[in-house]
Amino acid sequence: MSWHVSGQLVTSYATGELQGARAASVEAHVMTCAICRSAVNAEVAPERMHGIWSAVEDQVDAPRRRWNERVLTLFGMSESDARLVSVAPSLHASWLLSLAAVLAFAVWASNSRSGGTTLFLILAPIVPVLAVGGSYGRWIDPTFEVSVASPYPTMRLVLLRSTAVVAASGVLALVASLFVPSGGDVAAWLLPCLALLSITLVVSRWFTLPLAAAGVAAVYALPLLVALANHRDVAHLLLSASLQWAALVLAVGCIALLTHDPMLRSALRRNR
Amino acid sequence: MTTAATVSEVRRRFGRTQALDGATFEIGTGVTGLLGPNGAGKTTLLRILATVAAPDSGAVSVFGRDPSVAGQRVEIRRRLGYLPQDPGFQRGFSVFEFIDYVAILKEMTDRHQRHAEVRRVIEAVDLTSVSGKRVRALSGGMRRRVALAASLLGEPQFLVLDEPTAGLDPEQRLRFRELVSRAGEGRAVLLSTHQTEDVAALCQDVVVLDKGRVLFQGTPSDLSAVAAGRVWLADERVGSAELVWRTGEGRFRHLGTPPNRAELVEPTLEDGYLLLVGRFGEEAAA
Repeated sequence: MSWHVSGQLVTSYATGELQGARAASVEAHVMTCAICRSAVNAEVAPERMHGIWSAVEDQVDAPRRRWNERVLTLFGMSESDARLVSVAPSLHASWLLSLAAVLAFAVWASNSRSGGTTLFLILAPIVPVLAVGGSYGRWIDPTFEVSVASPYPTMRLVLLRSTAVVAASGVLALVASLFVPSGGDVAAWLLPCLALLSITLVVSRWFTLPLAAAGVAAVYALPLLVALANHRDVAHLLLSASLQWAALVLAVGCIALLTHDPMLRSALRRNR
Repeated sequence: MTTAATVSEVRRRFGRTQALDGATFEIGTGVTGLLGPNGAGKTTLLRILATVAAPDSGAVSVFGRDPSVAGQRVEIRRRLGYLPQDPGFQRGFSVFEFIDYVAILKEMTDRHQRHAEVRRVIEAVDLTSVSGKRVRALSGGMRRRVALAASLLGEPQFLVLDEPTAGLDPEQRLRFRELVSRAGEGRAVLLSTHQTEDVAALCQDVVVLDKGRVLFQGTPSDLSAVAAGRVWLADERVGSAELVWRTGEGRFRHLGTPPNRAELVEPTLEDGYLLLVGRFGEEAAA
């Protein structure tokens, strides 16, 4: 090596003042010249070196962000919350595909036989409820025990995951409803769905979330499916104004109960 | 020794099984070992102390806080590290990702500081070389160390470890002892185990639990002393002994009421434990 970087240039490079082509030139030289490399080493402050090294480690260690995590952060969720929410099984592609299959079946039924819309009106509201049931719980979340023992509020975790899975499954149900040939009637599943979701969250104060969701879905859907199988006029009931009003009242009542829950309030107050 | 947690007359029933039946003891700073046979109620007790389960009756206090009160429960959790008996792992997570996930649950929101802490605990359990590997691809012992690393996040003041040495090889167990011993300096560690040698090597205090009740609380030497004058060696089996086994030297080690002129030997912690939970435990304890 016939030349070496001047002392002033070494100092400017080591402190980060040197920019652009000159910095690149010094860098290229330092890579191949041991004398200049040691000169630069001696000039770099330990704090700067530590900071650079930490930044490199952070880049190397940074956990891979999954597709659902990226979607959640796009909607404004913080990076840490998105990570906790994205592991909900009902936000995994396999779950969403299963729910899509149920809805596809209901759409197919509604197009292939008269009165088939009724099946869609029965199944569409319970799809988001089942998704909520698959978002948190002992048998659902492998780290349930550790998450319960952590200071992160359980209610906040339940609400964040519920909101995310309801949004995802709700979009699926809305898209499916576009393929149901019944005009505006097909939107009649929305209020019962809201009521069932809020009842599930209230019931989850006493039972596990998966059990609450399965119970609420079963209590709602099974009698209707039995009545449908017996050729009763279930559509008339599902589309009636009284059922829609009852669903609205139930939803409002449950939401009021939930917002008066001290644990829920403290979870919502946290600003992350 | 400062009291970190107290358990008073705690009862917990699962169906027909009385898992805890009036358990009462105190945990101080340092390492406390919880010994007991299978089904003694150890895991239930640890879950209650980790605020994961609630007792049917009785009182529990951790750092003077009552875990049955929501606000105080959160304060306990902020100072707690917990390794469950069967720690689960999120599907597809690497070692780093899993511990980072637990760190978020522990309210470490600053990404830079959190990652530095995750690296610290991974290094503490000697897993730096596999930090990018998927947890489910690791051996059982390594997975145990991953879960142990997660429990060490944030240097908790109360560490609750449920059978932490299960599945660890001898070298890993020695490293674990060093780790827990350091964690117990000025802080409280409660570890449940079947390994009496871990308790003898690590613990300043021992609690023996059987059928949901505390049979013994004291130092490891106190537990060994339970068997004082009741352990002897002989060249052949003696019928009056309650427990007999052949040692590596080919002689027979006996536990129980010794015959005249028996060659009494120094009892170990294991001898004391076996006599306590054996079928004449009550007599020995008296």
